[in-house]
Amino acid sequence: MGDGRSSNSSSNSNNKPEWLEQYDVIGKIGEGTYGLVFLTKVKSNRAKSIAIKKFKQSKDGDGVSPTAIREIMLLREIVHENVVKLANVHINHADMSLYLAFDYAEHDLYEIIRHHRDKVNQSINQYTIKSLLWQLLNGLNYLHSNWIVHRDLKPSNILVMGEGEEQGVVKIADFGLARIYQAPLKPLSENGVVVTIWYRAPELLLGAKHYTSAVDMWAVGCIFAELLTLKPLFQGQEVKGTPNPFQLDQLDKIFKVLGHPTPEKWPTLAYLPHWQSDLQHIQGHKYENPGLYSVVHLSPKNPAYDLLSKMLEYDPRKRITAAQALDHEYFRMEPLPGRNTLVSPQPGEKVVNYPIRPVDTSTDIEGTISLQPSQPVWSPNSKFVE
Amino acid sequence: MAANFWTSSHYKQLLDPEDVDVVHQMDKDRGITLEDFKLIKLHMANYIARLAQHVKVRQRVVATAITYMRRVYVRRSMTDCDPRLVAPTCLYLASKAEESTVQARLLVFYIKKLYSDEKFRYEIKEILEMEMKVLEALNYYLVVFHPYRALSQLLQDAGMNDATQLTWGLVNDTYKMDLILIHPPHLIALACIYIASAQMDKENTAWFEELRVDMNVVCHLISRPKQFTAFLDY
Repeated sequence: MGDGRSSNSSSNSNNKPEWLEQYDVIGKIGEGTYGLVFLTKVKSNRAKSIAIKKFKQSKDGDGVSPTAIREIMLLREIVHENVVKLANVHINHADMSLYLAFDYAEHDLYEIIRHHRDKVNQSINQYTIKSLLWQLLNGLNYLHSNWIVHRDLKPSNILVMGEGEEQGVVKIADFGLARIYQAPLKPLSENGVVVTIWYRAPELLLGAKHYTSAVDMWAVGCIFAELLTLKPLFQGQEVKGTPNPFQLDQLDKIFKVLGHPTPEKWPTLAYLPHWQSDLQHIQGHKYENPGLYSVVHLSPKNPAYDLLSKMLEYDPRKRITAAQALDHEYFRMEPLPGRNTLVSPQPGEKVVNYPIRPVDTSTDIEGTISLQPSQPVWSPNSKFVE
Repeated sequence: MAANFWTSSHYKQLLDPEDVDVVHQMDKDRGITLEDFKLIKLHMANYIARLAQHVKVRQRVVATAITYMRRVYVRRSMTDCDPRLVAPTCLYLASKAEESTVQARLLVFYIKKLYSDEKFRYEIKEILEMEMKVLEALNYYLVVFHPYRALSQLLQDAGMNDATQLTWGLVNDTYKMDLILIHPPHLIALACIYIASAQMDKENTAWFEELRVDMNVVCHLISRPKQFTAFLDY
C-alpha cells in the first residue's frame, strides 16, 4: 500500500504530485465535512474506477484528523466482500494532504431508493430488497464479530457495485465513526453523539452511555423499512447545535409507530438519563395503537415483518443480532437472496436501470492540491480564509 | 483483523530477529553499530514513556507509540528520520489511534520543559510533517496488540493474581527491546509470568505444561538473560 518514496510530491511538467499520475481524474462525486471525493480511472486499466477521498487539511495545527486515522486503521485490517475495499493511501507532503483510494461503487441505497420513489414511482422488487438486506447483514456480522461498530449506517453509506464482475454487490462504506469496542480506553459515548438522527437507536436518543453493536442493527431496521416503503421510517426534526443527545421529535416519531417503551419490556430503560429527566416530555403524547405493520404495509404474519420488528426491538439486549438475522426464516423463503442484488436470476423480472452517479467535472482534484508548502498563518502574503 | 490477533496485520507482519537487527546503510556510514542502534531505540522508548507521563496518557498508548517507533526503524534510517523527532511523533500518532488524542502543541511544550538540549527541540509543524512520514513508514498499519490484555487472563488462570504488579512492570520493560515486533503478545505475557514465577519462587511448571504452548519459544524469549537484564536495568 502507499507508494513509498514516490509520494514526495516532486513536481513534474504537469505540475501534479507523482502518485496522481496513475489516475485520470474524472471529477468530483461527493463532498462532506471530512473533505471531497473524486472519481478517477486507473490509467493502466481503464476499466477500473477508483474513488479518491481527500481529507480536509486540519486548520489548527493538529495534523491528520483522528477520523482519518481511525478510518485507515480499521480499513487496513478489514477484508470482506461486503465492506468497501481500501485500495491505496496517498500522501502529498508539500501541503500535508491525505487521500484514501477505494474501489469505486456506482450506486448507493440513497440513490436507489430515490430513483424508485421519484423517477420510476414503483417499489423495489422483493429479490433486490432481500439480497441488499442479506449482504448488508453479512458485512455487518463480519464487523461485529470483529468487535467493530459502524455507528453511522444510513442509506448513503451502503454502496452497491455497478457494472462489472462485482455488479450488484453491497459494500458498507464510511468508517469515519466506526470503533473497535472490545477494549476502548475511553467510553464510547465520549466520542460525541453519533449516527444520523433518523437511523439513531432509541437508547442513544435517551442518552445511553454504554451502547453496543445493537445500534447498528436499529439502523439496519430503519433501512429495511425504507427499502420497503421508499420513505424514511422515522423522519424526526433534528435539534441542532446541542451536545445533548436528547431529540424529542425523533423519539416522538418512533413512539408514534412502535408505541411507548415500558420499563417492563425494557428493564434498563429506567437507568437512561433522559428517560428520567425528560419523562414528562416523553410521555406527553399517548400513542395507543402502535402500527408498524400498517406503516410498512406488511401482514404481521409475514416473515419480513417479523424480522423487521426484531430489528426495531426497543431493548438493545433483546434486539436481533446480525448473525441471528442472517439465520431468519425470511432469507430461506423464495425469492432467495443472491449475489447480484440488482439483477434477479428469475427470468422475466424487469431490470431497473439505475442512473450513474453525477460527476461534477468542473472541480478538478489538482486545483485542490498544493505543491508548495502551505503558507504559515502569519505570512503577510496569505489570504484571509475563513 | 482489528480484534483477532491471528487474522490481524500485526500477526502477518511479525519479523525474524535477523530482520529487526539490521542497521541501515546510511546509519552504518555514520559509524552507528548494532549495539548503538539498539541503545538509541531503548532511549527513545524511555523518552516516549517520560513524555507520556507528562501528557497523561495510558500505558497502552505508550506501548503503541514505542511499537510504531520500532517499526519505523525497520524501514527507515535514523539519518533520514531523527529519533528525537520520531519518538514524540509516534506518541502523537498513537494517541490518535488509541482514541486519547494529545495536542501537538502540548507535546512541544513538554519537550521544551524536559530537555534543554536544542537537538530535542522540534516545532509543531515538524511533528505534523513527521506524522505523515511515520504513517507511510508504517505502511498505514496502525492496529497493535499488546501483552497486557492476555496478561490478566493468564495470571488469573495461573492463580497468580498477586503477581499482577510485578508482571505488568515486566511487560512494560519488554518494550525496551524489539520483542513486540518479533513475538505474539501472549507469548511475551507468558515469558513475563515465567520470570515472575522464578522471582517469586512459585512452582507452576504444571500450569505452563498444560498451556501447550511452545515453551521453547518462551524460553528462547528469555534465554538471552544478559541482554534482558541488561536492558531492564536502564
